[in-house]
Amino acid sequence: MSYEEFLAGEPVIVTAALTGGVHGTEANPNLPETPEEIGRAAAAAEEAGASVVHLHARRPNGERSFATERFAEIDDAVQRYADNVIIQHSTGGTGAPAGKRHLPLRTDPSPEMASLDMGPLNRYDHLTSENTRAMVDALYEEMVERGIKPELEVFNDGHLNEVHSLLERQELAEPVYATLIFGDGTLTRPRPRNLLNAIDNLPDGAHFNTLGFGPHQLPFATMGILFGGHVRVGLEDNVYYQRGELAESNAQLVERVVRVANELGREVATPDQARDILDL
Amino acid sequence: MSCPYLEYQQSSDDQQFDEQRAYCTAAGRFVQPMRADICNDRYELDHAEHCEIYLEHEDGTDR
Repeated sequence: MSYEEFLAGEPVIVTAALTGGVHGTEANPNLPETPEEIGRAAAAAEEAGASVVHLHARRPNGERSFATERFAEIDDAVQRYADNVIIQHSTGGTGAPAGKRHLPLRTDPSPEMASLDMGPLNRYDHLTSENTRAMVDALYEEMVERGIKPELEVFNDGHLNEVHSLLERQELAEPVYATLIFGDGTLTRPRPRNLLNAIDNLPDGAHFNTLGFGPHQLPFATMGILFGGHVRVGLEDNVYYQRGELAESNAQLVERVVRVANELGREVATPDQARDILDL
Repeated sequence: MSCPYLEYQQSSDDQQFDEQRAYCTAAGRFVQPMRADICNDRYELDHAEHCEIYLEHEDGTDR
């Protein structure tokens, strides 16, 4: 994908990362945590223009859960409240054993998409989320078995090498879909030229999704729209609407990026258009 | 064994929740859900190895 896709007016897929697994309502009281709250948030995000919802599961007190049953409860709530949105489960899980990382793939029905972290990243001062190649391959293979489209999460430039390496090891269905992630720590440094560089280093024909953490969410989403990519916003990645002002909802963040896309002349993809683009 | 600085409570001076949540008495604040897994030594996590708040607090206590 490239600036040509922008000029051609290709629709932009907006993903809403509704809840996450790192912070919770201690960071923003508007962040949905229960299945009911996540279901309603998904419906509002879809109404605002999101065609994909990226989901994590939590215990009743907001702490992380990897249980298949908990993901199923959330999916049920999303399907109850939302219309046609694409469900994408996270398989991320710092410090969680490999077995737990597979559980979000085992709902019935399977999610249409699931995230696949492409390599290690640091958390806090004494912890690394390992995401070994063996783990990546095992998760990928179960996704293929279950007909789930992987969303390759590229947290830094080394993970771009891992995308190419995965393509050498496995036969990925086209189009390859990679989320380019920018922020602090082990992430790619959030600078515009680094986004261009990452786009240039994707495999031929890949589609990219653009994700900036925290204050980088809006600028990187805007650049992603301009450079012909897709965008991810939501309270998982950014709890503020602007400096010092907490976001009121996921839908508020989706509405803003949809306004930007419309101003820049790019149509926002419906869920069915997103399914066509990603060949789900 | 969970971290000795972990408590579950519903409120602090400035925050109130429907459920009891993980509160770090060393830091004096509610902690992120992912950090709560470290506090509880869940999965492959260990507060004595992975939590900088615990390590810094223990270091200070030992001096």
